[in-house]
Amino acid sequence: MKLEVETVHKHYGATRALDGLSLSIGSARVLVLIGPSGGGKSTLLRVLGGLETADSGSVMVNGHPLRPDAAALQAYRRRNGFLFQQFNLFPHLTALENIALPLEKVHRHPPAGARDLAEQALARFSLLDHAAKLPAQLSGGQQQRVGIARAVAHQPEVLFLDEPTSALDPEMTAEVLELIQELAEAGQDIILSTHEMGFARAVADQVAFVAAGKIEELAPPADLFGRPRSALCARFLSRVMRY
Amino acid sequence: MTRRQQIANGCVAMALVALAGWLFTAVFSLLGNQTDWSKAWEYRETLWRGWLVTLGISFAALAGSIVFGLLFLLGQRSPLPVVRWTCRSFLEFVRDTPLLVHLLFGYFVIFAPLISRDLGQRGFDDKLVIGILLLSVFEGAYLGEILRGGVESIPRTQWESARAVGFSPFQVYRYVIFPQALRRVLPAMAGLFVSLIKDSSLLNVIGVTEYFYNTKNFIARSYAGLEGYVPLALGYLVLTLPVAWLSHWLENRFRHET
Repeated sequence: MKLEVETVHKHYGATRALDGLSLSIGSARVLVLIGPSGGGKSTLLRVLGGLETADSGSVMVNGHPLRPDAAALQAYRRRNGFLFQQFNLFPHLTALENIALPLEKVHRHPPAGARDLAEQALARFSLLDHAAKLPAQLSGGQQQRVGIARAVAHQPEVLFLDEPTSALDPEMTAEVLELIQELAEAGQDIILSTHEMGFARAVADQVAFVAAGKIEELAPPADLFGRPRSALCARFLSRVMRY
Repeated sequence: MTRRQQIANGCVAMALVALAGWLFTAVFSLLGNQTDWSKAWEYRETLWRGWLVTLGISFAALAGSIVFGLLFLLGQRSPLPVVRWTCRSFLEFVRDTPLLVHLLFGYFVIFAPLISRDLGQRGFDDKLVIGILLLSVFEGAYLGEILRGGVESIPRTQWESARAVGFSPFQVYRYVIFPQALRRVLPAMAGLFVSLIKDSSLLNVIGVTEYFYNTKNFIARSYAGLEGYVPLALGYLVLTLPVAWLSHWLENRFRHET
């Protein structure tokens, strides 16, 4: 995937979530965003994912500019997948329906075809046993995995994951991270934000350190984790890696 | 229940039965020789016709109130402030004034002069049509507030997830928000629909010949008492109890663990 982000600003009231952020990536399969909470990771992901529009600046994904009108953004969201920290699934629908409904209503598959595709998506991540369960009957890790299955069922161009494991315990975190790694190895373009540094190191092609609404540093994981150039990044890493 | 609670429960039950029994015998011994159920039987046709009209009004106003309720809900969520505030003040006005006033004012001052003649010429009963309209607006105002409460109680993450999977704004409401919101407001809606059926009796003030109006006439003409009021109460119960049961049944069916 290719990214061109130029001096993007995004304000929420007096808070400057993105403060003239620029980012240029020629080609990467997996881009991982790390950095302190409140530094702008989520906002950047939401802008890149078409859930939020920038106040100013320009964003190009794979050579196409993101236009700020509602219809264009909706079409863009339909081509991609997005997963939040938690509560992604619709609680009144079973795991299978959660996947099948968007396939049917958004991607215009016939109902039977949508169910088949949804079953395949669940089977791919060994979740078929849970097909008929409601989200409340699934563990947090299973919910996130079904959420990912839904986000990739229509073969998205880019999969956006916003701290997908932050609400999970270590064991569930592992099961979700394994799944994401599987997707990355299968060739899926992914942009994700995370606090799991080990995982970022293992799976990323490029790691971006986001702080104070800017990209402080962008480098392949070996460089960024091995010898960070920015002082801010070095301090952040030494603090989070201490324990 | 503990042993002591069981005993207490038995005692209270006996006391209640005794009280009810005393009340019944007292009332019936006062009226006993004057109660003549054949009077009600004589008027059965007009009572039956009135009951059917009430049934019709209830169904029509139920449908109407859903339409108005949705309009008020959407109006209050409109991006245009002027629409929001107009809706808000209209709702406030409707909810804070008596239905009786709406019916009298709405019929005699506003709608009758405007459209009664047209409706009559087209073969409609103008009182019935206008009455249903006014009842629909009144109940719709309450329904709009109930629905708004339901829609606003759905957490932000659900709206976001729905947008993220690519649903259009209409689809977000249709497939994600409404199904969840409706489950939450079902008891309140059922209560409102029961009120609506009972409130339809007020349409008698503009001369709609519904169940209450016909019963009132029957009582006035035949000097009936109990013979009029008991069928009246039963007639409304037959309409309202199924709504209450249906709502309980739906509630149980939709109770998804969250």
